Amino acid sequence: MTDAILQIDHLTKQYPGFLLDDVSFSIPKGTIMGLIGENGAGKSTTIKAALDLIKKDSGSVTFWGQELSSSKHLKEDIGVVFDGINFYETLTPTKAGNISKAAYRQWDERLYLDFLNRFELPANKEIKSFSKGMKTKLCLATALSHAPKLLILDEATSGLDPVMRDDILDVFLEFVQDENHSILMSSHISTDLEKIADYITFIHQGKVLFCKTKDELKYRYGIIRCKTKFFNTVDKSEILACRKDGYQWDILVADKEKAKRRYRDAIVDDVTLDDILLLYVKGDYKE
Amino acid sequence: MKSLILKDFYNISRNTRSMFVILLVFAVVFLPSSGIQNYIFICAILCSMMIITTFSFDEHSNWPLYAMIMPVSKKDIVAGKYAVLFAFSLIGIIFGIIAGTAGNIVAGNFFQMAEDTAAIPLPLMALTALSCSTVFGSISIPLAIQFGAEKGRILVLVSFLIPAGLCYAAYHAFLFLGLDLTENLKTALFYCSPIPAAAWNYMMYKISCFIFTKKDMP
Repeated sequence: MTDAILQIDHLTKQYPGFLLDDVSFSIPKGTIMGLIGENGAGKSTTIKAALDLIKKDSGSVTFWGQELSSSKHLKEDIGVVFDGINFYETLTPTKAGNISKAAYRQWDERLYLDFLNRFELPANKEIKSFSKGMKTKLCLATALSHAPKLLILDEATSGLDPVMRDDILDVFLEFVQDENHSILMSSHISTDLEKIADYITFIHQGKVLFCKTKDELKYRYGIIRCKTKFFNTVDKSEILACRKDGYQWDILVADKEKAKRRYRDAIVDDVTLDDILLLYVKGDYKE
Repeated sequence: MKSLILKDFYNISRNTRSMFVILLVFAVVFLPSSGIQNYIFICAILCSMMIITTFSFDEHSNWPLYAMIMPVSKKDIVAGKYAVLFAFSLIGIIFGIIAGTAGNIVAGNFFQMAEDTAAIPLPLMALTALSCSTVFGSISIPLAIQFGAEKGRILVLVSFLIPAGLCYAAYHAFLFLGLDLTENLKTALFYCSPIPAAAWNYMMYKISCFIFTKKDMP
């Protein structure tokens, strides 16, 4: 991938009982990278280590070719939304805006007010009276109003209803209309990523299992569904991951058309990110 | 750093009314017996203690995590807390002077107050109160960073005992050396108090920076 906005190389961080192991991926300009994995897989640790919020044991992270520690003003170009709001609950959107305005040189007050208006957020109402969705929208308005070029979202859409999520996904798609903008979005709601992501990085037990385009996963990957007798005849080198569910085997393969040609008697289905996630997390997979 | 200071003032603004009520109650209790000078001290120290409350708000909203994604460094965050501590102490002193003077006028003790403040003028007393309150408050900042606001609140007692103990030790050292604490010497010590206070606060700032730099964000 060229023109990387964010480049993560061999990122490693060890905690007691958890190892984020040699994580590498990059995000090209104008794209949305989805970071998927089960809870505790290492998505948030990756994001926190990338943002220098936790000390990494080894590896490097660069934004536009520069380390974050080299200049704090690099953060002007990065908007971050976490799961949950970080302004105290007695503050109002106006006060949250004032705080952000004092922090960011690039703060655009008009844009912020536009977002508040668009998201139907009352400017002078205390945050504690807001719903989860309203809080997320406020975080998003704050993150977008200092004109970032990279948006990092850590489980930002979790806990929201589908309508609210859809509204927010629209904002993300608008954001990447500018080809210099990119998004790194971690989520375990794979349907959100299926809607908007260009690339998918799958983290499992602290390791990157793959980083591929969503289209490759969607249009090339497939699942062979078969009984044990048939499973024994399948070329094991073609199996990426497999799982026995009752009497049925689900086998993930990288080329569904090839599988259809080769195993004419088997059912070969399209895959969803959820299928892939389940097969890797709950099944056996090739390292 | 301006944003960090603004955030603390916004967060604490809800508590200011109750704080001022407490200070007014203290004015009624302490002004007649202790005079305006001690009252200024009380106001400054009580207001400086609010710095721990700002940590409590920060923890509740996981603010440090968010602060670190803004274009500020960890040193800025610590420096912001010290600036807020200084501001809180200053507000306490200003309130103490105004409420103390008003209280004395209302109680008909204005001339007594003028007499009391002749030896040690109010601006000097204010400066000493600022030194003391920031010294007390500044030790609570590294404690709150290291142990969190709730434990820090308990440990704040320690933070008050350590400087108080040091002052007590210094007082006895004076006596041991046979130095008589004359009014002139007291005044000179009052005038000098900002110097050790500044040194102490700088040391606490450095310790806070060291602790916070080592800390991972939750």
